[in-house]
Amino acid sequence: MNFSLVFKILGRTLLLEGFALLLPTGVALLYGEDIRPFLYTILILLVVGGLLSLLRASRQFFAREGFFTVALTWVMFGVFGALPFWFSGQFGSYIDCLFETISGFTTTGASVLTAVEGLPMGLLFWRSFTHWLGGMGVLVLTAALLPSLGVEGTYLIQAESPGPVPSKLVPRSSTSSKILYGIYLAMTVVETLLLRLVGLPWFDAVVNSFGTAGTGGLSVRNLSIGAYNNPAAEVIITIFMLLFSVNFTIYFLLLSRKWRQALASDELRFFLLIVAGSIVLITLNIVPQYGGFTWESLRHAAFQVASIISTTGYATANFDLWPEFSRFLIFVLMLVGACAGSTGGGMKCSRVLVLFKSIRREIRQIIHPRSVNLVRLDGQTLEEGTVRSICVFCGAYVMVTLMASLIVGLDNFTFGTTITAVVSCVSNIGPGLEMVGPMGNFSAFSDLSKLVLSLCMVIGRLEIFPILVLFSKNAWKRS
Amino acid sequence: MKIIIAGCGKVGFTLAEHLSHEHHDVTILDNRDLPLQRAAAALDVLCVKGNCTSVPTLEDAGAGEADVVIAATNSDEVNMLCCLCAKRAGAGHTIARVRGEEYSLNVNGLKQNLGIDTVINPEYSTAVEISRMLRFPSADNVDTFPRARVELVSFVSREGDFLNGRPISALPAQFQSLPVLLCAVERGGEVYIPRGSFVVQQGDKIYLIGQPSGINQFFKLLGRHALKIRSAFLVGGSRIAFYLTNLMYKMGIQCKIVERSYDRCVLLAEKLPHTMVIHGDGTDPDLLQLENLSSSDAFMALTDRDEDNLIISLYAMQMGIPKVVAKSNQQNYNRIAHSAGLQSVVSPKMITANQILQLVRGLQNSKGSIMTALYRIADGHAEAMEFEVNDTTRHLNTPLRELRLKKDIIIAIIIHKGKVIIPEGSSTIQLGDTIVLIARDQSILDINDIFADPLAGGGER
Repeated sequence: MNFSLVFKILGRTLLLEGFALLLPTGVALLYGEDIRPFLYTILILLVVGGLLSLLRASRQFFAREGFFTVALTWVMFGVFGALPFWFSGQFGSYIDCLFETISGFTTTGASVLTAVEGLPMGLLFWRSFTHWLGGMGVLVLTAALLPSLGVEGTYLIQAESPGPVPSKLVPRSSTSSKILYGIYLAMTVVETLLLRLVGLPWFDAVVNSFGTAGTGGLSVRNLSIGAYNNPAAEVIITIFMLLFSVNFTIYFLLLSRKWRQALASDELRFFLLIVAGSIVLITLNIVPQYGGFTWESLRHAAFQVASIISTTGYATANFDLWPEFSRFLIFVLMLVGACAGSTGGGMKCSRVLVLFKSIRREIRQIIHPRSVNLVRLDGQTLEEGTVRSICVFCGAYVMVTLMASLIVGLDNFTFGTTITAVVSCVSNIGPGLEMVGPMGNFSAFSDLSKLVLSLCMVIGRLEIFPILVLFSKNAWKRS
Repeated sequence: MKIIIAGCGKVGFTLAEHLSHEHHDVTILDNRDLPLQRAAAALDVLCVKGNCTSVPTLEDAGAGEADVVIAATNSDEVNMLCCLCAKRAGAGHTIARVRGEEYSLNVNGLKQNLGIDTVINPEYSTAVEISRMLRFPSADNVDTFPRARVELVSFVSREGDFLNGRPISALPAQFQSLPVLLCAVERGGEVYIPRGSFVVQQGDKIYLIGQPSGINQFFKLLGRHALKIRSAFLVGGSRIAFYLTNLMYKMGIQCKIVERSYDRCVLLAEKLPHTMVIHGDGTDPDLLQLENLSSSDAFMALTDRDEDNLIISLYAMQMGIPKVVAKSNQQNYNRIAHSAGLQSVVSPKMITANQILQLVRGLQNSKGSIMTALYRIADGHAEAMEFEVNDTTRHLNTPLRELRLKKDIIIAIIIHKGKVIIPEGSSTIQLGDTIVLIARDQSILDINDIFADPLAGGGER
């Protein structure tokens, strides 16, 4: 392991975090609030990041260094990003601050705060801004802004991008990152303007767009999006949550006018099928609660489905009070998650699709033992290695969830609370059911559980293996 | 005509054989000694050793004056390059054998960019031939005349068929009224062009020509139930199997392919998503049973080994599969297969040779009537041809009963303004018609060749 280069890259990303903090500082200044928490943090980041980036390093950089750097960077981003909250004194313990920050960066949107309204605007802005930074990935941003990263950029992006096979848009990975961030930024701006247009205040329009873009879901209101009581805003957010949970490669293809290639994606069709099916089923299921079919029931069903499958976690209705079938369907959607290559979390539609196809293949293989069956996606045959790693990923996903649930179970909450809290963190959603439902929060958990859940969020965001690499003894050997 | 054949493999040799029989000047070009020696010993041709993609070698072989250059080496790329070089050297018509699945999709591109005039794909043509057989499962072989839209089918008469034992003119009126013609009969290695007095016997191989609907009605009359084929079992994942599976998929037939090489299986599974590909030895009866061979409607043996194909085809016939087709290039084996009851045998080599012969004859007779199809039937003893009638044709508008045709030639079908006519004494050939002829033991280049009276003016061609 080439530690000096790993730390050098870490240093640079920390410097970037320091620069990113200037934005909430500005917001705090604008609203005439105390900016000292931000200034202290920026100072610490500049010193630590500056010293680390001065390290001399050889250019040896391979996949393991990539995985290692990504894992380390994400943990450190949480550790330093929590400082403004800690310095402000508005939160309880440092563990709470860490949980909130990691929940932000991993675009989970789980909160330990019982009352959001009343916090300083600067802090609220930083909380939502972490979503936007974490959504597309901090190292993708680093690669986009610091082309000197060169070769190692490819490995970093591979380790950070969600999905089984990261697709390169253009030959150079730094150009690729720039295009992705360009699309991301443009869509965020469009959403902000639309939300402003339907009557949200500027501040709310911006932070809610950050939450949607990163598919995060931390809200600045206690009642989440439901607080605005603004159907137009709800529809806009529903649409944008779905847009941000689609593979960004498709937007690139649309921009380069490759219509057919863009719409031929199996994953996209599978995703849309799940969304449409779930909306219809849930609407039918909740109709009695809304006193017959109304547009309201459809709107609420659509918003909640989009919010959960995109792993955003906004809410306009308390789906914890819905009939058991709807609650269970939402739990299933939590596991499935968004499309690969989007800002969303979860297992990813493409993996679930490949899993289904592998099951079908296994059945065929039992009936025709000598038959040669291949798994194909988008008309292309998947390599055996890819299929295997997808199956292993799904297994590991369930395993991590169960292990974490065992530990969180020590807190002695109900089965539903425990399992949905863990799934919600691993899938980067935010709300679960029962105590951690859309109107609840995570404040009641013990410090141990909060740490485990924070770890789950990072594991889920980085798709398990980068973090597991940290636990391997071999990865720590010097090279 | 001067013809150069590059590559003296299976197809090259057969072509040289047929073309030299038809009195063409054939030069064979190959860079291996052994095949050249064999060709020089067996055929009346000129053999040149050398690289067929080098312009000097081609010029040595006389490519500059050649009317036709046929590139039939084992490599698609060499064939294309050979045609390109030959064209540069000044050859007339170039023909390339291109078999690759990737190239077969873009035949027009090859023609435009590489100076290839005709692209021949034996495997694809064979697949087309087999797929035609599946449309008339009761028939053993099916040939299609593209312009006339009529089919020539063959079958063997069995005990109790109404055709047997009576002169054709005395057959029931139900048969006489059908728009089909009994145009050739093969008996004991001999071919007969039947007249009204001809008596069909049990075991004769009968050739029948007509529109698809008429042929279906005929088989119904004969009491041979023509079931529609819904599933097919293929042994051997060769190129033929690949093309055939694609064709059958379009016809709505479910396919299962058994192939021995695992890598080939993966390749097939990749390219044929709707087909079940099974890795195993297709000659192993246990495997065939495990994969439920007996429930298939059709069976095709398409491995590289002719012997295997024939044996497993016989096995499949024994299992009661209604339609069994075997691929075999060995003409000698075919007779054994026929006597064992296996009638549908295809030979890519013969199909290719037929295509090229038709092409060469067309080129030879560029001023006369245009030959649009040529099939050699009954082991090459007879030929079925389709012609477009133009103003070079003599005896237009003369009733057939007044014409004197050469022996053993019949005009089987006349298409007049899209209507199929089974010729009678009063029928006439008119300008713009399409006609189908059957001729025994003679090569016909032009419609005028069928008339017994000498050409006025003594041969203007």
